[in-house]
Amino acid sequence: MDNRTILSRFAAAAFAGASFFATTAAFAGEVTIWCWDPNFNVAIMKEAGERYTAKHPETTFNIVDFAKADVEQKLQTALSSGTTDALPDIVLIEDYGAQKYLQSFPGAFAEMSGTVDYSGFAPYKVQLMTVDGKVYGMPFDSGVTGFYYRKDYLEQAGFKPADVQDITWDRFIEIGKQVEEKTGKKMMGLDITDAGFTRILMQSAGQWYFDAEGNLSIENNTALKAALETQQKILQAGVYKPSSGWSDWVGSFTSGDVATVTTGVWITGTVKAQADQSGKWGVAPIPSLGIEGATHASNLGGSSWYVLESSAEKAEAIAFLNETYAKDIDFYQKILTERGAVGSLLAARTGEAYMKADEFFGGETVWQNFSDWLSKVPPVNYGIFTNEVDTAVTAHLPSLAQGANIDEVLKQIQSQAEGQIQ
Amino acid sequence: MALAKTGGLKRYYDVNGWLFIAPALTLIGIFLIYPIFRSLFLSFYSGKGMMLKFAGFGNITRLANDPVFLKALINTTTFFVIQVPIMIVLALILASLLNMDRLKFAGFFRTAIFLPCVASLVAYSVLFKSMFSVDGVINQALMAIGLIGMPIGWLTEPFWAKVLVILAITWRWTGYNMIFYLAALQNIDKSIYEAARIDGVPAWARFVHLTIPMLKPVILFTTIISTIGTIQLFDEVYNLTEGKGGPADATITLSLYIYNLTFRFMPSFGYAATVSYVIVLMVAVLSFLQFYAARERS
Amino acid sequence: MTQIATPSPRVRRLLPETATYITLSIAAFVSVFPFLWMLISSTNTSIDIIKGKTSFGAAFSTNVVNFFTQVDVPLVFWNSAKVSILTTLLTIAVSSLAGYGFEMFRSKMRDRLYALVLLTLMVPFAALMIPLFMMMGRAGLINTHIGILLPTIASAFIIFYFRQSTKAFPTELRDAAKVDGLKEWQIFLYIYVPVMRSTFAAAFVIIFMTSWNNYLWPLIVLQSNETKTITLVVSSLASAYYPDFGVVMIGTILATLPTLLVFFIMQRQFVAGMLGSVK
Repeated sequence: MDNRTILSRFAAAAFAGASFFATTAAFAGEVTIWCWDPNFNVAIMKEAGERYTAKHPETTFNIVDFAKADVEQKLQTALSSGTTDALPDIVLIEDYGAQKYLQSFPGAFAEMSGTVDYSGFAPYKVQLMTVDGKVYGMPFDSGVTGFYYRKDYLEQAGFKPADVQDITWDRFIEIGKQVEEKTGKKMMGLDITDAGFTRILMQSAGQWYFDAEGNLSIENNTALKAALETQQKILQAGVYKPSSGWSDWVGSFTSGDVATVTTGVWITGTVKAQADQSGKWGVAPIPSLGIEGATHASNLGGSSWYVLESSAEKAEAIAFLNETYAKDIDFYQKILTERGAVGSLLAARTGEAYMKADEFFGGETVWQNFSDWLSKVPPVNYGIFTNEVDTAVTAHLPSLAQGANIDEVLKQIQSQAEGQIQ
Repeated sequence: MALAKTGGLKRYYDVNGWLFIAPALTLIGIFLIYPIFRSLFLSFYSGKGMMLKFAGFGNITRLANDPVFLKALINTTTFFVIQVPIMIVLALILASLLNMDRLKFAGFFRTAIFLPCVASLVAYSVLFKSMFSVDGVINQALMAIGLIGMPIGWLTEPFWAKVLVILAITWRWTGYNMIFYLAALQNIDKSIYEAARIDGVPAWARFVHLTIPMLKPVILFTTIISTIGTIQLFDEVYNLTEGKGGPADATITLSLYIYNLTFRFMPSFGYAATVSYVIVLMVAVLSFLQFYAARERS
Repeated sequence: MTQIATPSPRVRRLLPETATYITLSIAAFVSVFPFLWMLISSTNTSIDIIKGKTSFGAAFSTNVVNFFTQVDVPLVFWNSAKVSILTTLLTIAVSSLAGYGFEMFRSKMRDRLYALVLLTLMVPFAALMIPLFMMMGRAGLINTHIGILLPTIASAFIIFYFRQSTKAFPTELRDAAKVDGLKEWQIFLYIYVPVMRSTFAAAFVIIFMTSWNNYLWPLIVLQSNETKTITLVVSSLASAYYPDFGVVMIGTILATLPTLLVFFIMQRQFVAGMLGSVK
């Protein structure tokens, strides 16, 4: 079929034969990696690959940039058809989906406990990739959230940065009304076809769609209830700009149409990509829900690297991940300053890059702050059905704008989710 | 002698008859008939990914209690019940206008109206998405002529999202159907129309009493093809809504739901196969009804 | 009184005529507008497109350059062309044979089978998707172009189309050829095909467009960037993390051009072929 695959197979076999006779087993070949986001994951993996190739010249990397949905669909397609030929050696998986893949396709991913020292990573990340005591991936970035705001817009409306530190969402709406009055700008972009914002709010108060045992928890979920109530208030106050989908939402702040963005730290690269907005942005802890257990820290997204068991370069792929992502502190400093990637290797957080002030954010030590907030993110159990419940939640978001009763909505989400997770 | 000849002829008929249709039958057997039975078989199984277990009628019970399935079913039905008649009538009107004598620029109009059919489903969905965004050209135009005061949330409000899907498929397929009607109309003897016109039969009456009855077989055929197409709707909603069928599942279709069940959610092939059988049933019943209705009236 | 109210015959004739032209003009404008929008947008930057800018911009060459750097254009076009031309030729071959066979050699058994073939027209692709995909997986055809081709070749719709058109094939020609001692496959190849060329042309247009624009099945089967078709490329560009809509617009133009060309080149034969099928 594909000459290159056959050739590389042949080469791999030949080398395997050669290493049988040689005393030092040398790796050789090309490691293929699938990931998304050219400004972030792809660029970071390229950096990691270059670092590794510099020390091991015989290893090269083929980093393939897909849309995130494409990566997930292709992975699921290949695994469920048992056709692993087309699969890469390493694949990026978002944390929400990790357990789904690990549990639906046992034996598809390479176990890495034993090779990798997991004690050096944030425990919640390791827990996400553990099944029956075995650990299957290389923890990568965190999605610790921040509240990005336009200092210039807020100033026009009469607010100082101190006025948005540690506020509640109710206060956020009040500020939003004044911002719109004074500047004509909306306070935030809200994509009603996505439950990401709901998840941020919910996790900030320490709960998830599932309880610690993995049972569905919707109707009696006080954090989810508060999250929906908050969104209803935002929708009814009209302090948002509606977005239809991800790119539209990104456009709402890159174009300067909205005053604030509440999302994961990985958005920093995109915010900073608008060079003409340098110095106009600030970052604060996210507002709180104001209920019991509510904090100013949360998480959105974040992902990790997984090696396919079927990979012809399995050992090499693991060695590569172990050498860069589990040990190279300097690498983490670089991807932080260049890409805004907050890794989950704890040792990396004492590096100098985390202490640096960022000119784009008017000289604030934003990374220090993010690192701080990261330690405060309430741990939750993502379970294996986050995608399913997410669609159930998304389906009911528009009804909030029409003033739907939140308890009713929760009941409906509960029943829809129950139908989905069988 | 005569007997042998008929026997030989029958043999000749059979050998050639089978040979000519063999490739098609083989392919249809492998890639259509086999999978459809395999699907039926799968619908009795359930489980995560490839770990399937016999589940009896478990999937049917699940179907009955699945609100998303119900939404997908209702949406799909809404789409074809509203969209197909609108499109067929539009196509018929355009075809009979284009079929008028002494029409200037007929070639230009025909080509222009057929043009949407060459657009790929993905490309035009992407185009429509940008045209119908909140700040998009359509909202701008509607506001400029004073039809609306506020931009319409074509992709953010459930009702308008449905309208957008209907507008999009109507745009894409009206010309296609029109070509069938135009071809059929041009086969009709013009003198019938001429006679009716001289007798003073008004244009609308000629359309209702002459055009429609004469085109009935073609109309039936295109209605069935369009219904099947709309029931299978996937590409447009997938590309208009980032694969989600939102907002609020307002545009999720059965095909999109099957796709999600297979490739986006925890893969449940058995349940997805069960949902797909609902489409088979729907199409079968509808086609039967349409044939039946057509036969009754004639 | 009535005399005044009734418009003169001239007005009576002109009025519907004007209405006709207005209706057709509106329909033509609505039909063509998105193409125009595509051209306008391709000259604008991504942000301008999101904001709904309605005039031509200066970003066309940047967009083209970006598209060509992000996408391996020759490879993607080669993939699309290979898949759609092969699908078209094979579908035409298989379906025209079957259409001819079903019409020329009628028997009770074959008529029943034909009815069965027509019934498969009702089977939605979604119902076949999962088993087909498992089949392709077992056959090792995932991520191959053959994997896309195979299930799309046998099309009940095109068989139906050919059989309908064959009804118009003059039987005298076939009888004469038989007297001349031609075998059935010779009659098919040397007489039927040339006589029915507009039918074949229309089939070519329809199948080529369907296949070029095919999305769901290739989306499932094709796994790597090396095998992707242009339709898939446009879709993933549009769903990328930070889509550049200027680049996406170049993609939609390039994806539309070949079908547009095929249609314009074969328009006359296409219409003639469609005429033949509905007789």
